Amino acid sequence: MLHERLWEQNQDLAQASLGHPLVEALRDGTLAPAAFRGYIAQDAFFLEAFARAYALALARSRGAEPIGLFHVLIGGVRDELRLHAAYAAELEIDLSRVQPNPACRAYTDFLLATAWHRSLGEVLAAMTPCMRLYAFLGQELLLRIGGQGKVKVHPYGRWITAYSGPDMQDLADHIDSLLDRFSKDTPAVRQAYRYAMQCEVDFFSAALETPAQVLEGQR
Amino acid sequence: MGVMADLGRLLDTELVRNAGPLWDEATTSPFLEAVARGDVSPAVFGRWLSQDYLFATELTAFQAVAVSKVPRACHKPLIGGLAALDSELAWFESHAETLKLELSVPPHPACRRYTDFLLHAAHTDRYPLLLATLFAVEASYLAAWSALAAEGPYREFIERWSSEAFNDYVLSLRRLAEDNPDPGQQGAFNRVLEFERDFWKMSWEG
Repeated sequence: MLHERLWEQNQDLAQASLGHPLVEALRDGTLAPAAFRGYIAQDAFFLEAFARAYALALARSRGAEPIGLFHVLIGGVRDELRLHAAYAAELEIDLSRVQPNPACRAYTDFLLATAWHRSLGEVLAAMTPCMRLYAFLGQELLLRIGGQGKVKVHPYGRWITAYSGPDMQDLADHIDSLLDRFSKDTPAVRQAYRYAMQCEVDFFSAALETPAQVLEGQR
Repeated sequence: MGVMADLGRLLDTELVRNAGPLWDEATTSPFLEAVARGDVSPAVFGRWLSQDYLFATELTAFQAVAVSKVPRACHKPLIGGLAALDSELAWFESHAETLKLELSVPPHPACRRYTDFLLHAAHTDRYPLLLATLFAVEASYLAAWSALAAEGPYREFIERWSSEAFNDYVLSLRRLAEDNPDPGQQGAFNRVLEFERDFWKMSWEG
């Protein structure tokens, strides 16, 4: 299956994400609140673009069945945005004033340029890594903190619960199946998948590197 | 001489002035200096050429989408520019053949970020911003190459992007941007300059 081959071919970047200082600090519960705050703000900006990219992918698909699948996937982004809105309220982030950092901007430009301009196969290749990677990170982190028993007392337990839960796994399976159905194993598809994985790693790095004061401001 | 004097006037615009130091960063590079001296390595020149070819391909797509959004009065320069881009792509292809260069390479991240910005903008930005974007792309390129003496092994390249015809094209783009003002133009203009700066850096450093 294409989704397995692509995931396998990009294990280096999946492992780089799992071992990324931001993800490790999230796992240990030692991630500084300011860094988490910046990360959530950027991620909310990213998710809005992600929802739009799904809608453009849906517009490109044929037949009735993808309508249902994309509907579920867009609903998944909405749930993620609700999680972010809850965090934003607690952390006092005005999500309407978030300025994307360069890594976030490059990623959303890539997603939306692809969604507007490329084939459905490439759009799905650009969108799958985010879903599959977060489902993977959620499960790995849950395992590494000691499972369900520990998650309730973990400082970032809510985040780990959201991404390790069955809903997230189902969504990742959904988009994997769309990828298998609509994408072909072409250089453009492989490049889009890999570039998206690299964007994920860069996104984590930028959240640690970008000073919090430039994260917000007038759009 | 005539061309250089015209260039000064051509670039005496608010968009260029307000870009501040970004303008120089986007129009000068060790890569260009090596091209002017004629001692740029074949590997570095080949990297620039294959990435610039990819860029020109995507710029064509950007411009085609832009044509579909601009008012009728903007058509002539933009459609003329598309025809020139077609000749340019053919010209790149013939050079690649002579130099035995592979053109179907993956985009470097610096090239990809630039073209992703262009294609995303083409579909979602207001047309006055697209005019400022295109003016930035071409004016910075004109300025970068016009600063070099047209001599040495890369004379043909230098002449291509410092020619009077290219000057005239950039002037027509400047007029379109100015005739269709929008408060977002400076932001679009500056973003292009950042991408140009990063593209030259990639050409030189890999």
